[in-house]
Amino acid sequence: MVRYLTSLWRNLFCQERVDEELDEEIRSYLELVAAEKLRCGVPLEEALRSARRELGGLEQVKDNVRDTRIGAYMDTLIQDLRYAIRTLSRNPAFSAVAVLTLALGIGANTTIFTVVNGVLLKPLPYPDPDRLLMLWERPLSGGELGTVAPANFFDWREQNHSFSRMAAIDPYPDFILNGSGQPQLLAGAAVSSGFFSLFGVHMAVGRAFSEEEDHPGHNNVVVLSYSAWMHHFGSRSDIVGRSLTLNDSVYTVIGVLPSNFSLVSKASDFQGRNRFDLFTPLALHSPPEPWQRGTHPLCVFARLKPGVRVAQAQTDLNRIAGILQRLYPEDDKQMGIAAIPLGQHVVANVRTALFTLLAAVGMVFLIACANIANLLLTRAAARQKEMSLRVALGASRRRLARQLLTESMVLVAAGGAIGVACAFVSVPALVRHLPPDLPRTSEIAVDGRVLAFTSLVALLTGIVFGLVPLFQTWRASANDSLKQSGRGITAGQSRLRSTLIVGQVAIALVLLTGAGLMTKSLWALLRVSPGFQTEHILTARLSLPPQYANGYRFGTGQHRQISAFQRELLDRVRQIPGVQRAAFTAYLPLSGTNNSWAFNIEGRPPKPVGVYDMTNYRPVSAGYFETIGIPIERGRVFNTGDTEDSPLVVVINEAMARAYWGGQNPVGQRVRFGGAEWRSVVGVVGDVQHEALGTKPEPEMYVPYGQVPNVEVRPTLVLRAASEPANMVNALRRAVAQTGPDVPVDQIETMKQIVFGSIGQSRFRTAVLLVFALLALLVASIGLYGVMSYVVSQRIREFGIRMAVGASRGAVLRLVLRQATRLVGIGIAIGLVAAALLARLIGSLLYAVKPFDAVTLLTVSILLGIVALVASYLPAQRAANADPMESLRYE
Amino acid sequence: MGTSQSDLLQGTLDLLILKSLALQQMHGMGISRRIAQITNGTFEVKAGSLFPALHRMEEAGWLTSFWGESETNRRARFYRLTAAGRKQLHAESERWERISFAMASALQAT
Repeated sequence: MVRYLTSLWRNLFCQERVDEELDEEIRSYLELVAAEKLRCGVPLEEALRSARRELGGLEQVKDNVRDTRIGAYMDTLIQDLRYAIRTLSRNPAFSAVAVLTLALGIGANTTIFTVVNGVLLKPLPYPDPDRLLMLWERPLSGGELGTVAPANFFDWREQNHSFSRMAAIDPYPDFILNGSGQPQLLAGAAVSSGFFSLFGVHMAVGRAFSEEEDHPGHNNVVVLSYSAWMHHFGSRSDIVGRSLTLNDSVYTVIGVLPSNFSLVSKASDFQGRNRFDLFTPLALHSPPEPWQRGTHPLCVFARLKPGVRVAQAQTDLNRIAGILQRLYPEDDKQMGIAAIPLGQHVVANVRTALFTLLAAVGMVFLIACANIANLLLTRAAARQKEMSLRVALGASRRRLARQLLTESMVLVAAGGAIGVACAFVSVPALVRHLPPDLPRTSEIAVDGRVLAFTSLVALLTGIVFGLVPLFQTWRASANDSLKQSGRGITAGQSRLRSTLIVGQVAIALVLLTGAGLMTKSLWALLRVSPGFQTEHILTARLSLPPQYANGYRFGTGQHRQISAFQRELLDRVRQIPGVQRAAFTAYLPLSGTNNSWAFNIEGRPPKPVGVYDMTNYRPVSAGYFETIGIPIERGRVFNTGDTEDSPLVVVINEAMARAYWGGQNPVGQRVRFGGAEWRSVVGVVGDVQHEALGTKPEPEMYVPYGQVPNVEVRPTLVLRAASEPANMVNALRRAVAQTGPDVPVDQIETMKQIVFGSIGQSRFRTAVLLVFALLALLVASIGLYGVMSYVVSQRIREFGIRMAVGASRGAVLRLVLRQATRLVGIGIAIGLVAAALLARLIGSLLYAVKPFDAVTLLTVSILLGIVALVASYLPAQRAANADPMESLRYE
Repeated sequence: MGTSQSDLLQGTLDLLILKSLALQQMHGMGISRRIAQITNGTFEVKAGSLFPALHRMEEAGWLTSFWGESETNRRARFYRLTAAGRKQLHAESERWERISFAMASALQAT
């Protein structure tokens, strides 16, 4: 092997020296032979001549030696490459079209694959990512995954035998960084000790939380994210040990996370957040207090012990759930535990969509490849004589195959190189336009795996393209072809072309159907009435500092202060010119935030222990319904008279009225939640789409801000303007700064932006699929046009004869169109069957549209039919317009 | 048909070259002369076949070559058997003995 490689190296890279040595060796051979003759008495002249005769041709000997050398095939390859490049550059139009088509196809495929790779295929960026799970509470009756009660987390962590670590994060607390100038809002999270080591992350600076710091009283320490360290503290190296004033308390910085650490999550996990600036210890009371089983703020992560499988862990957790159900029936009677691999969890909602896009871009590529195959066939037909001649002159089939493969590989390599170069540009551009709730977008990059994928695609394409004309060459025997006048079209060729057209049409139809279904679904989503007004509404999320509230836990009577602040701010906002109405809500629809409570209805028999009626809970200020435009169906809504001191009241939505009062009038009935007091239902309002557009409305209960049972510190201000609200942003900021100088404004968005953003994924995949489908339509019709043009040019003599013997132009036109229609018809038929079968796969991505949608199938068939007709009409017309005499002379 | 014949001849030439180098190192012409001598003039190896064979066998590792001086004090390329070459000679000789024995008995059969 070593000898082989050194020989190869010498032959390839020291070719000159090797040749010189050979030259010298043969010359010395000549001299030796001549000297021998001389010794036998032959005269010098004669001796030299006879020596040369004995040698044979000097160059021939050298050629023979060269051909036997290791690496001779490399010479042939270089020869083939030169020949291929020469052939291709002699036909620049063909080569340019082929290379550009390939570049586009490969570039698009690489780009989409890069996204799929980053989001779905790459392992999570943690050590042993397959052993990471998320644990959730899930009602035994099934249903949604729920976040976890602190007390349950304690019990799971203590009683399990399956996990090497378990840690929890409370993604809710925000911190206001006081000190220099403007108050800054930092997105915080509280984590249990061991959280970071569960993810295998080591601090860039300092250390992580210790066991002791995870207890109340010792927990005024923070770990900063790398970007917070950079942006808020200028990456100063003495950050560890420094004191920060957060929410008016003093915290000590103990560590900074590395720049490459990000908490991979699904957008809905952390109330719409995907980035945290700082972490504090969770510091739960140990043992937990009873109320900590009734509140559910935690996301729980766990790492499997080596050798333990997910199913075993699930069995273990089921055992624990059984114990807790018996011990704490009031809270846990219906509680099950769900263990879901982290990698699977974060991409659960996007897997189908991304694979659909990958399949779509692959299909576009197939259609484009069919076009190139057609071009190659045309060229192969034109080169048939050349090939046959070479076979007749003794070129082996293998040698020809190698030549053709080299040619197609040159094409594909050029296309692939340009395609990959494009991907380096298009990937970052695409990432900027990805929906913000797509997980793991930071990990999308062209990497080795992507390049391997692209190379594989290019290699396969090159082989197939090389084989297409070869197939032709092999079919036609050397003799037949030489005898032909060189313009005939073989039956096999036209069959292959027809197959390609049928395939293109079928694939294009499948893509069009997919895009059609998605478009129809998005259209339906856009027309869904969210239950409130979206025009002229501006929203601003505020974070109230600790003098108004001291954290998210049960408050101690700061209602009045909060109400006073809100009243003052609302008064100021209403002064802004153009503002018609303004109000507060704690949970804005489509904002990704939510909260729910268990409740009882007065006079109903008590529920069994541990069984609750649940309703979504919405603290709002007076005027909220009028501001955002939720219609009042019965009774009244809140007014400024509903305060801390007035009788307790609630307003419910229609879904809640339907679910719990059926046909009866709920107004006047009383409910109880979060305390012992009964609250009167004073009105019923319309349903809103809170979680997402197109979801089933859930029961909702509105409560005046002054009467909430706990303190809500992140109110959203909603204002209705007479005109475009976006230019009121500055006035709004000023109003907030005047009312509460230390209240940071988090997000300011118009309601339209929020609605639009909430359907980002649907918009994105529909747009991409639509582009691909139209591209497919375009490329397929170019293919059809090309093939029909070719067919017409091949049959032009036949048409001439037909017209000469009396066929009308119309008859010739119909003849060509009939041929095209037959191919397109078969393609559409096959495409319809395929589309009907494949559409089911994207059923989960569709809203208000069945995967088998006759209207869509019919529409896209007609569209495709019309485009195909136009594409084949042009060549057909050319056939009909041909001068009979000229076409007869054409040969 | 064509290939099998040349295979046979190539195998023969290789064996003859190995055999002629078995006793001493030689240059190209020496090998050619030696082959003629040991086959009683049956095989006249031309440079057109000799040099490709020598280079191929060297790349296969059976021979090594070096520049030296001929008996007439001329610079010439000498070839020498390697250990692998010697092994190859042994194996090839046995194979040929088997074949020639088989052929001889086949031809003698009536």
